[in-house]
Amino acid sequence: MIDRYVKYFGCAAILLAVIALVGCGQEEPASPATSEPTAAVQPSPEAMEATAAPTTTEATAMDNQGVSRLQTVRDRGTLICSSNNSLAGFGFLDSGGNTVGFDIDLCRAVAAAVLGNPDAVEFRPTTAAERGPAIQSGEVDIMSRNTTWTSSRDAAWGNFAQTMFFDGQGFMIPKSLGVTSMMELRDAKICVQQGTTTELNIQDFDNQNAMNFDILTFPDNVSSNEAYISGQCDSLTTDRSGLVSTRAGFDNPDDHTILPGTISEEPLGPVVPHGDDQWYDVVKTVMAILIYAEAYGVTSDSVPAAATGNTKVDRLMGLEGSFGQEALGLSNTVAQDVIRGVGNYGEIYDRHLIPLGLERDGSRNALWANAPCADCPRGGQIYAAPLR
Amino acid sequence: MQNPETTLPSILTYQGIPVWRHAQIIQWVAQIASAILVVALVMWFFGNMAFAIEDREIPFGFSFLGREYQTPIGEHVLPYKSSDSFLYALVVAATNTLVVAVIGVILATLLGIFIGVCRLSTNWIVSKLATVYIEFFRNVPLLIQLFFWFYIILALPRVREGYVILDGLYVNNAGISFPGPSASGTMPALVWLALVVAAVVVGVFLHHRLVRREEEIGRPSYPFVLGCVATVGIAAIAWLVLSGIFGDAPFSISMPAPEGRFGRIDGGVTVRAGMLVLLVGLVIYTSSFIAEIVRAGIQSVGRGQTEAARALGLSPMNTLRQGTFPQALRVIIPPWISQCLNLTKNSSLGGVVGYTDLTNVAITMTQTAPAINIFLMLMAAYLAMSLTWSLIGNLYNRRIGFTG
Repeated sequence: MIDRYVKYFGCAAILLAVIALVGCGQEEPASPATSEPTAAVQPSPEAMEATAAPTTTEATAMDNQGVSRLQTVRDRGTLICSSNNSLAGFGFLDSGGNTVGFDIDLCRAVAAAVLGNPDAVEFRPTTAAERGPAIQSGEVDIMSRNTTWTSSRDAAWGNFAQTMFFDGQGFMIPKSLGVTSMMELRDAKICVQQGTTTELNIQDFDNQNAMNFDILTFPDNVSSNEAYISGQCDSLTTDRSGLVSTRAGFDNPDDHTILPGTISEEPLGPVVPHGDDQWYDVVKTVMAILIYAEAYGVTSDSVPAAATGNTKVDRLMGLEGSFGQEALGLSNTVAQDVIRGVGNYGEIYDRHLIPLGLERDGSRNALWANAPCADCPRGGQIYAAPLR
Repeated sequence: MQNPETTLPSILTYQGIPVWRHAQIIQWVAQIASAILVVALVMWFFGNMAFAIEDREIPFGFSFLGREYQTPIGEHVLPYKSSDSFLYALVVAATNTLVVAVIGVILATLLGIFIGVCRLSTNWIVSKLATVYIEFFRNVPLLIQLFFWFYIILALPRVREGYVILDGLYVNNAGISFPGPSASGTMPALVWLALVVAAVVVGVFLHHRLVRREEEIGRPSYPFVLGCVATVGIAAIAWLVLSGIFGDAPFSISMPAPEGRFGRIDGGVTVRAGMLVLLVGLVIYTSSFIAEIVRAGIQSVGRGQTEAARALGLSPMNTLRQGTFPQALRVIIPPWISQCLNLTKNSSLGGVVGYTDLTNVAITMTQTAPAINIFLMLMAAYLAMSLTWSLIGNLYNRRIGFTG
């Protein structure tokens, strides 16, 4: 008799517990344990102070409830940047163990703008195949990792801020094979890095031209380069900039040639997670600052401290008027921090990509503003939304 | 009369025992608490996932399975072209994993038994070599071993300068090519393979019946020989009949040969470098564990068994084959099953050496399809494979276990 009561009691307790948990589970997203939902609506300084408890160093999915990513990054004090660490010129480790490169400096520019310190960046090296889920989950604040802007990535991964490097896919081949054009690669074995647009493009190229390729995929460029050098495949394919960078690292770079022509469009640029328009706008604006600083001739050594009389320069530097810094949540002199921290677009390019042999003059990566005449199509494609 | 110490209010007692010391109640409370904990944890995980999916607009759903995959899969046992669907690409990749798992388990078991027996050898050199082998390969991480074999294979000569052994056996850093069967058409090949399976079933059945007959009437009935004759006979007749019907033999031998301006080896069967590296790494690593399992199994059989077998005049080899080993199997099989599982799961490292196994392809798929769904499917696939291994192993274990 009493046994039966015990059983009823047990079942009822479990049922109640489940119901209670379902209730809690539904409430959870609405009222996060760490912050008052009102804080987001009325961002008074006190409320922000109170809720800004930097208890975690991770930018987890929960951060976005009520607190913007800009605020999260400021509270954390570092920018988390998904990067490459094995592509010379774009993102790699130098002999001193520092992460350096073109893509790396784009992250540093954002850190300089948001935190006032270009070194306040935590770099998270990711492989090509890992990078999608990392930015998708919002685990990182920004991804700057020689990533091609495509519509499906834009839809699935995050928002592409701005094309900072225009590229196309090419082929490298040992000179000893005597191949001079891409169409002569029929029946070749091709090494490619998996999880890249190049992997998809090579398949398209193969299908379209009946190239009968034998395609070998590798998880990172270290192993695909190794396989190419040892002759496991006849040709290595990736973005031409990547090929130039890879070849520069070979023992005998002159034994290899990059075939003329490209088989795809590869616009590369930084990506931010979906779901935070302010953060997306901040990153786009920082990229525009880098480009316009070069167009206006402001370099890291010549950042003006007082008004120069040139309206465009003064507005950019926060010495006169505004280009919307306040609305974006940035300081008025954000451009000064950025340019002092990392230099303008041209300086970043010269520092990292010129030594590899990626010529800029006359290429698509020259400034549009440097075109010889106002409308002639000779300038490059580096161009951003006006800062005003 | 009740003891004054136990006169607690009735709500605090149950069958005269305070509730906090009553075994049945304690058990119930523990059950409920753990149930709540498990439910809460699961709900928290799923709640978090659901929240993230909504908040970050992460795509979720299985509709991608019917779309064209459009990505190359370097090595594939099943036929594959880039216009095949995601679902079929996953099947191709799972087959790649299964091939490595099955071949790997067979080779690792054979090698493991050999090394394990060597370790028990009375020959000092053989026993010490086996010990060194086991201790070395068991204690170095598999990933590092895989890289080691990867670079060893890369150091082989390139395709155009590769070794040609015995006309038709090509060894180079892209893999090993050897002559193999080539189907003249899908239909005759499939029909013949189906008939071969039928022939094997007939052979096994015949063997079974003849063994029983031998036991019943006590006269030799040659079950093994007759079983083999039946199988081979049916297969051969099927071959001839199919050749007559289709005008072409179901299979012919295809010889590998260099093709095109880059000297790529086409034709025959090619085990590519990625699969080779993965197989070598997995087999050597797992065999060192199986060797120890085998040693433990053999040593668990009482000394008296060996002595009895020797007293009957059995040779050391026969002592092992007919005396010790069958008894040791009972100890060997359960841990051996977990090594089979380990090998299957470890094959997920194939991607690092360029083998397109299931994990490798699934990770590549996350580029163009929802990652969460892909990983759920990936987990389900490995779970299914592992449970299948467990089932096979447990059935075998039951067969060889003590009965009656």
